[in-house]
Amino acid sequence: MTTKNAPFPGLLLLFLLLVSPAAFAQTYNTLWVPDTLSGTNFNLAVKDTFAQLVSGNQTITGGLNRSRFWGPTLIMNKGANVQLNVTNKLNDTTTMHWHGMHLPAVMDGGPYQPIPPGTVWRPYWTVRNQAATLWYHPHLHEMTQAQMTKGVGGFIIIRDAAEAALALPRKYGVDDFVLALTSRRFLSSNQMAATLSDNYGDYMMVNGTLNPQVSLPRQVVRLRILNAEVQRGYNLGFSDNRPFYVIGNDGGLLNAPVAVTRLTVHTGERYEILVDLTGSAVGASLFLKAYNSTAEVLATLPGTQTGNAAFGFPGLEGRATTPTGNNGPLNGSLLNNVDFNVLKINVVAATAAPRTTIPATLINNTYWSAANATSSRTLTVTGGQGGTAFSFNNLFYRKGVINQTVAYNALERWTITNNNIFGHAFHLHDVSFNIISRSGGTQGTTIRAYEQGWKDVVWLPVGGSVTFLAKFEDYADPTWPYMYHCHALTHEDEGMMGTFKVIGTTTAVTAAARAAAGFTVYPNPAQSRLNIGFNTPGASAYYVRVLDAVGRTIYMLPRPPLQDGIDVSGFDRGVYYVQLTDEKTRITTTQKFTKE
Amino acid sequence: MSRALTSARWLVALAALALVGFRPEAAVVGSAVADFRLRDVTNKAVSLADFKGAKGFIVVFTCNHCPFAKLYTGRLNALNTKYKALGVPLLAINSMDTVVYADESFRHMQRRAQAEQYNFPYLHDARQAVGRNFQAAHTPQTYVIWREAQAWHIKYSGAIDDNGAEPGRVKNAYVVRAVEALLAGQPVAQPQTDSFGCAIFFRKQLP
Repeated sequence: MTTKNAPFPGLLLLFLLLVSPAAFAQTYNTLWVPDTLSGTNFNLAVKDTFAQLVSGNQTITGGLNRSRFWGPTLIMNKGANVQLNVTNKLNDTTTMHWHGMHLPAVMDGGPYQPIPPGTVWRPYWTVRNQAATLWYHPHLHEMTQAQMTKGVGGFIIIRDAAEAALALPRKYGVDDFVLALTSRRFLSSNQMAATLSDNYGDYMMVNGTLNPQVSLPRQVVRLRILNAEVQRGYNLGFSDNRPFYVIGNDGGLLNAPVAVTRLTVHTGERYEILVDLTGSAVGASLFLKAYNSTAEVLATLPGTQTGNAAFGFPGLEGRATTPTGNNGPLNGSLLNNVDFNVLKINVVAATAAPRTTIPATLINNTYWSAANATSSRTLTVTGGQGGTAFSFNNLFYRKGVINQTVAYNALERWTITNNNIFGHAFHLHDVSFNIISRSGGTQGTTIRAYEQGWKDVVWLPVGGSVTFLAKFEDYADPTWPYMYHCHALTHEDEGMMGTFKVIGTTTAVTAAARAAAGFTVYPNPAQSRLNIGFNTPGASAYYVRVLDAVGRTIYMLPRPPLQDGIDVSGFDRGVYYVQLTDEKTRITTTQKFTKE
Repeated sequence: MSRALTSARWLVALAALALVGFRPEAAVVGSAVADFRLRDVTNKAVSLADFKGAKGFIVVFTCNHCPFAKLYTGRLNALNTKYKALGVPLLAINSMDTVVYADESFRHMQRRAQAEQYNFPYLHDARQAVGRNFQAAHTPQTYVIWREAQAWHIKYSGAIDDNGAEPGRVKNAYVVRAVEALLAGQPVAQPQTDSFGCAIFFRKQLP
């Protein structure tokens, strides 16, 4: 169960980042393209490590498998039954959330599924999402910012037949790139700051590369953009103001490409864009830029609100003129209120069989009708003033509290209202939604063309309100909730998060049936496999934990398929405990076994 | 500037202060620390008082599993070799929670000390009392303590030097400079640097 850290020279290969960004801002580093993992069985070891991000001391980071900042891209096919094996080799407890994935609550990896150090968590599900760009990241309450700042996270690309039938670029790392946008602020020891005042970084990073550049072929190229920031929004465009084409957002492809020159991307949001480089000369360069200066942002967005800039405060607070480091202003940053380069693009020769045109249409999404919604619920952004943190409906997240209960299969209309002082990126777990109306704030009633389609994060401008439709299909669970929250990491860590359960109609257990299905473990002592036998025919396990004699969790197994038992071959000799929660009654009982 | 903006900033400032308040801050440089008695990997009890004639100590909070702490093994041996002879021995202390981290058990400490040929005492702070007393926050956080008026005073707290992975590129060997200054009867020019590495989580203490 142990994986050796990649040797230090591997770090240099991964991160050719040998210069200080402050001293040599004009020097560019080759964009790191994450490895891919594909198939149905995915092993992710989350670990503490360090990387040579700036000159001098190394920066302590969080890596996955062989990487030292940000993890491999997981490529999954729609319809596949995928098994994830997440090993926590961090010094701290963590969780792993599959952002945007439609899956059972017990597999979701939110704050209810903490993985202690040294533990293996084994969720699995059937991929029901259509082709889309999703991502994974830690979601431990109050620690999300710290662990994401270290770089723990990665992309998930879902492929399906409808997407495969389109003439789109999809050669990963050739004409199809993932771009995780974020920024960091460095202390004098070169460590990355992650206190509640570190909302805005001083130095732009794409996939963990500072001052990145990438060679793109002279053809139509696909960029899958994720805002992986703590709080900053990006108003993206190209330095030559060329139009580009949004083909998809959080939940998959749009019906047709949307031509834009600017694209607003807030924390947690993903956009897939096509860039046509056929008109550029080989050897030419251009920049993907963030046009975050107030004038630009206000000029490109309708309904400017007096007294507040378009993004609320994010990205528009306290511009600093020197690196904020150990003693920076609370929300200052070199990148606030200015236009800055995100990625340098160097145009190189086209590949064989290049894509050279933008498709006129994409897929046929069928959206729900608001008239069919069976229930409505409203959430109001609260707090944030008078010394309190932000919240929903004046309630901070509290473990054990269920804020909303949704009926299985219900089509619901949710309205989120932000008559508050700050913009927020609202994220819903489990299902994608479809925005049906907006009002107030900088966007007014405008639903931008690229916001249509399936979303799981929506921007709430100051003074704005958003209504969306969501259908809570396929999965119900009376025990474990999903989350909704602001994706500004400091906001969610401070409690701007709530829980919802999806409750089915057939899962009620009568009092008479409230007896745990007893189980036995055999052989005992065990050598390689431990079998579990239920005393009641047809019983099954909702959750199994295997603990050692000291009480450390070795395995966390949600709804484990137990026909082949549990592999204990790698265990040290000693006494262990199996804690089994019965699927039907949700009562937990424990059995002891010995490993020989 | 709008009133709303001002209140938001005040909120963030307050939140930042609160966070700092809850974090274990390193013991203040200049303050005194009490002697302690801990078992080393050879099963011998070790305390500061055992080192008759010691002028001071280099006290390193380290552990077995932390990647950044592991980078310093060779440098710890070198520091001890050089400064023990000058009356400033090095003591390494493991205050990690052995209930959470199987790798931090006494047996694993013994294995690590043997494998890495530690030439200094590697002490097990099983009750985390010494780590708590120093308010050590991370591994490898290091203190230089010095004898003054019959007590041990903290003269330096922070990193060992300014380059973990590339010892050849160290520009500022903080601990070496602190010890050299103290041996020369001079004040320590940089008495505190950032504490970083793997967090030491202290078990909750019941009243």
